[in-house]
Amino acid sequence: MWPYHPELLATPVPRYTSFPTAAEFGDHVGPADFEAALASTTGAVSLYVHIPFCKTICWYCGCNTGRANRSQRLASYLEALHREIALVGRLLPKSAQVRRIAFGGGSPNAITPTDFVRLCLSLTQSFSLEDPTLSVELDPRTLEPSWAQALAGTGVRHASLGVQTFNVRLQEAIGRIQPIETIERCTALLRQAGITSLNYDLMYGLPGQTGDDLAATLEQARDFGADRIALFGYAHVPHLIPRQRRIDATALPDQAARFEMAAAGHAQLTGYGYEAIGFDHFARAHDPLAQAARSGTLSRNFQGFTDDPAPVVIGLGASSISSFPNLLTQTEKNAGRYRMMLSQGRLASNRGIRRSPDDRLRGEVIKGLLCDGRTALPASLRAGAEGLLRPFVERGLAYWDDEDLVITAQALPYARTIAAKFDPYRQSDARRFSSAV
Amino acid sequence: MNACTQCTVRNKAICHSLPEDKLSELNRLGRHQTIKRGQALVWQGDESLLVGNVLEGALKLSVSSVEGREQTLGVMLPSDFIGRPFGATSMHSVIALTDAKVCTFARSAFDAFAQEHPPLEHGLLERTLTELDRARQWMMLLARKSAGERVAIFLLDIARRHSAEDVEGSLRFELPLSRQDIADLLGLTIETVSRQITRLREDSIIATPGRRTIEILDLDRLEACTNEA
Repeated sequence: MWPYHPELLATPVPRYTSFPTAAEFGDHVGPADFEAALASTTGAVSLYVHIPFCKTICWYCGCNTGRANRSQRLASYLEALHREIALVGRLLPKSAQVRRIAFGGGSPNAITPTDFVRLCLSLTQSFSLEDPTLSVELDPRTLEPSWAQALAGTGVRHASLGVQTFNVRLQEAIGRIQPIETIERCTALLRQAGITSLNYDLMYGLPGQTGDDLAATLEQARDFGADRIALFGYAHVPHLIPRQRRIDATALPDQAARFEMAAAGHAQLTGYGYEAIGFDHFARAHDPLAQAARSGTLSRNFQGFTDDPAPVVIGLGASSISSFPNLLTQTEKNAGRYRMMLSQGRLASNRGIRRSPDDRLRGEVIKGLLCDGRTALPASLRAGAEGLLRPFVERGLAYWDDEDLVITAQALPYARTIAAKFDPYRQSDARRFSSAV
Repeated sequence: MNACTQCTVRNKAICHSLPEDKLSELNRLGRHQTIKRGQALVWQGDESLLVGNVLEGALKLSVSSVEGREQTLGVMLPSDFIGRPFGATSMHSVIALTDAKVCTFARSAFDAFAQEHPPLEHGLLERTLTELDRARQWMMLLARKSAGERVAIFLLDIARRHSAEDVEGSLRFELPLSRQDIADLLGLTIETVSRQITRLREDSIIATPGRRTIEILDLDRLEACTNEA
């Protein structure tokens, strides 16, 4: 069992899907920065395509997504997205080769299978694709059989299902009803469509959730043959995500209970033979994510832990974020303004941050700690960090190995908190981030 | 009066699954357009994106690069469905390579109609997947195929799509395009295209009984020519 030190987990910390985090983005970055970064890009590139729609909105969800209840709204969003794909494709040199395309949201299957194929068509015609791996996030509640044909025909091999929990009572508590038969049917459908890496997103810390509830869900996920499991702690931040006000906060497990669920979940899944990836992912040994973790090539981007080594991720769609070695930039979040800018043939990036050499150095340190549990530390950073890390070293959660800082195997839940000691932007700010566990 | 009953591509077009009454309903949403060689296909005075059926002639789908260079993204022939939305507000354009007739629809109206008619919706998905396959092959052709491979792939593609007739074991068809057009499409010079066709003829893989007539004598060897490496 993991050692519990609540005093070290008291301060909320970022998830560090980027460094600097999106909280540091400002409006001093705009289309000209994005255009310059695109023009200087060469080599391996990954694309992320954002579909900010769902058929129904779940109460817990923090994603930038709206209801797909008006087909005109979807159609005009897609028109803008097609324009953006063509525009960005023209600005990117042909020497930039796309090896991965991820579709996320929202739920990409809020659009029709034909519209999904059309997006693939646009991408094929606008970018230099180098036999890319395609991955899609899917909502099991609206996964029609025709989607299997679209996924097989476009060659999607990686899929992620939003499962969250198999428990009906908990599904009701978070406004996401999906009978176990639905997940079973979707899993079979996806396997028939040729999905070789299937992820289930699951959650702990849900209102009213017990350790037994979580254990039953994890067992079911194993039985259905998930290749990967992402086990996230539910982050209750209704002051940031108003739709969460519908969730009964009095039923939420306290921090000690959450810690116990995360620890028990980790023990159960590794007991099943899943390998722990970073601090919240699990993968079967044959899965590319587990292979990357074993070979020390695990990375982290806006989708979480990934085996994708590309130094550049280009985001397409409203609110998507692009990541370059020297720049992080986000596209306009408001779908109406996004559409308007694209209709005028303009790039819609309007926020971001330029990454200084110091940012990049610290970003590598944070990535190493979260992905590998270890990082080589330049003397310049060690001096400032030693005092901040003392509480962790004293409790046996981390140690120094020559130049390297190492997080011990038992200290996984403290990884984000330790990484945050290298983040100079973090002041005590209790409101902006979710709890570390 | 229902133009669809006289449609030259009716049996092979995307709408073939519709019964007659539904067909005339769909017909009212569409527009028949005749365009001259070299003209771009647009729906005048309308900003919406379009899709369409090719009735006669040959058209190319193209996109212009930042430097203003034009890149061809594929060829469209009779009974092909242009499902890749194009139009005045798109960076993609559809340009007639010969005089052509096309039946066009606003994408939104066509999609809405398809959603209410499952066989058409299914046909739309299948056609779009076919278009994706072609686009992938086309991009591959332009990116890394030799001149000989490009010409062989092009001839095979036209043979398969252009109602090639099986005449005593050989496939015979009319090329819908001039050699200059073929050269432009394939990113080759006209001399290279002619040289490759001559080579295929001398190897008895094809015959050229007329100026634009191609007869495939040995399908297996032509297929082998599409992948020399």
